[in-house]
Amino acid sequence: MSRFRSSDILALATESMRVHRLRTGLTLAAIAIGVTAVLLLTALGEAAKRYVVREFADIGSNLVIVLPGHVETTGAAPTIGGAVRDLTIDDAEAVQRQAPAVRLVAPLSFASGTFSYGGRNRTVYVAGTTPSFETVRNVHVASGTFLDQRDPRRGEGVVVIGRRIQREVFRGENPLGKAVRLSQWRLRVVGVMEERGHSLGMDFDDVAIVPVATGLRVFNQSSLFRILVQARDPASVPQAVEQVRAILKERHDGEEDFTILTQDAMLATFGSIIEALTAALAGIAAISLAVAGIGIMNVMLVSVSERTTEVGLLKALGGRRRQIESIFLAEAVLLSGMGAAIGVGAGLLLTGVAAWFWPALPLQASIGWIAAVLVLALASGGVFGLLPARRAARLAAADALQGRR
Amino acid sequence: MLIHLEHVVRDYRVGDSIVHALHDVTLSIDRGAFVALMGPSGSGKSTLLNVLGCLDTPTSGAYVLDGQPVQSLSEDALAEIRQKRIGFIFQAYHLVPRMTAERNVELPLILSGVEPSERRERIGRALDLVGLARRREHRPDQLSGGERQRVAIARAMVTEPSLLLADEPTGNLDSKAGGEIVALLERLHEAGLTIVLVTHDPSVASHAERVISLRDGKIARDAPPETPNLPLGEATP
Repeated sequence: MSRFRSSDILALATESMRVHRLRTGLTLAAIAIGVTAVLLLTALGEAAKRYVVREFADIGSNLVIVLPGHVETTGAAPTIGGAVRDLTIDDAEAVQRQAPAVRLVAPLSFASGTFSYGGRNRTVYVAGTTPSFETVRNVHVASGTFLDQRDPRRGEGVVVIGRRIQREVFRGENPLGKAVRLSQWRLRVVGVMEERGHSLGMDFDDVAIVPVATGLRVFNQSSLFRILVQARDPASVPQAVEQVRAILKERHDGEEDFTILTQDAMLATFGSIIEALTAALAGIAAISLAVAGIGIMNVMLVSVSERTTEVGLLKALGGRRRQIESIFLAEAVLLSGMGAAIGVGAGLLLTGVAAWFWPALPLQASIGWIAAVLVLALASGGVFGLLPARRAARLAAADALQGRR
Repeated sequence: MLIHLEHVVRDYRVGDSIVHALHDVTLSIDRGAFVALMGPSGSGKSTLLNVLGCLDTPTSGAYVLDGQPVQSLSEDALAEIRQKRIGFIFQAYHLVPRMTAERNVELPLILSGVEPSERRERIGRALDLVGLARRREHRPDQLSGGERQRVAIARAMVTEPSLLLADEPTGNLDSKAGGEIVALLERLHEAGLTIVLVTHDPSVASHAERVISLRDGKIARDAPPETPNLPLGEATP
């Protein structure tokens, strides 16, 4: 019984690949492009999903939001109808004092106004709040200090500005300690926020943060825009909601003329977006995997089919079916393995470059998809390389020699 | 006796009809014989050669090669017989274009698992036999038609077969190169090799000891050539 050496199989396979440079190159390119496409598309999908999820994480943790006016469903902006009592700083303080499941409360007023300094004007969002806001909304100052005054009823004339306001209005000048005007009121800049971008529909880079009493006074408002409540931990969110509801209801003469939103409720509202993204991601990956697989199949079918005569010759020379199959299998696996390796390399390089140019949406090829696409490439290369070789090896040797299929 | 065929039938199914490529062929060929198979296209001579070479199996009848009945052997057993006892040469040479002469000759040794250390010597001997020792590094496209066929003969002989089957070995060659191939086959025959060759060319057939003419899948004539050893290209009418 003769033995077929693996070194011989390998030599025969690489010989054929080396000589048919164009065919080998095209095959490698087809496989590599398929693999790279899968990696890039899945990386893009994953990055989009991560981006959305991170947006929600940025909102702050264990957040409960109280807004004036009552709506039955959560997630939509409340329609205000009838007599609605104001949400006041007193309400916020009562919640802070009386609700044991609540860690921090940040009252929030909101308006837009004209911010002026040195003859330059800019329309900005103005958020009035307390020092708790920094923790509750997970925002931080880059320089200077945040609001530091503990008594929310004292409206000091200070302002913390977003990065864009600093850039556009101060133009490289140090804004700290500068006197500015906000809709005719004089304020002193005490801090500049870290760059943050949009979150929950608010552009933090274009916002001016003032003490809540100042915010209400500047815009002549009586009601808070929101009361932001941070529960002690995720488990105590439901308790906090009930306590907040009870306290405010009591203060509002037994009427529930306010709406309480939780982060969970918001996540549920936006959950469908994430689900759709996940489904789209799976679809994109499936399509690109299928395309890559079909590309490999075509190349293999063509390259093996045109070598039917060679199969016939090997049979005439006494080659056994298994020997012939193993030569073609080795070649197919070598080709698809090399192609897949090139594709993974290119995919990693491209995602790396993309992540460097576009840090906001960091692309990252996931290990899972790399493994999946490697397995797919090897399997489809092997199967579609072996099938035509097997078909050829089963032909009568005389027919194969004539190139008849 | 090396070859014995007994009532061999080979039918092909083409669509709904059946083609009788070989129809009750009974035939013996002695060890060391040089036999030419002739006949018009479709007479069954190539089918007969394929049956003799274990590339094709009879539909019915018996084939005994070197004392061993082969008509009912498994595919792998037939492959082993082709590997050990039979050498093939073809009209189109069937050299692997990407491989050097040496590597083409090595192929049968690779398939039969001969030690690499032993291969070099055997390849050298086979290429010497056909007078191409100096062309061992050449690829087929760097060789003339006659040289290619000689490489193919070296490849057939490297396993030291007892039977050489040649399918129109001079069909693609001019008469000079064809004459050299026939001369080479005659030398191999004189050294004891059994040769069966298929040809259209009576001048090639005239070098055999025995000419079997086939017609419609049957043996029409089986006799020594009428005029032996004609120079190639000079066929008698």
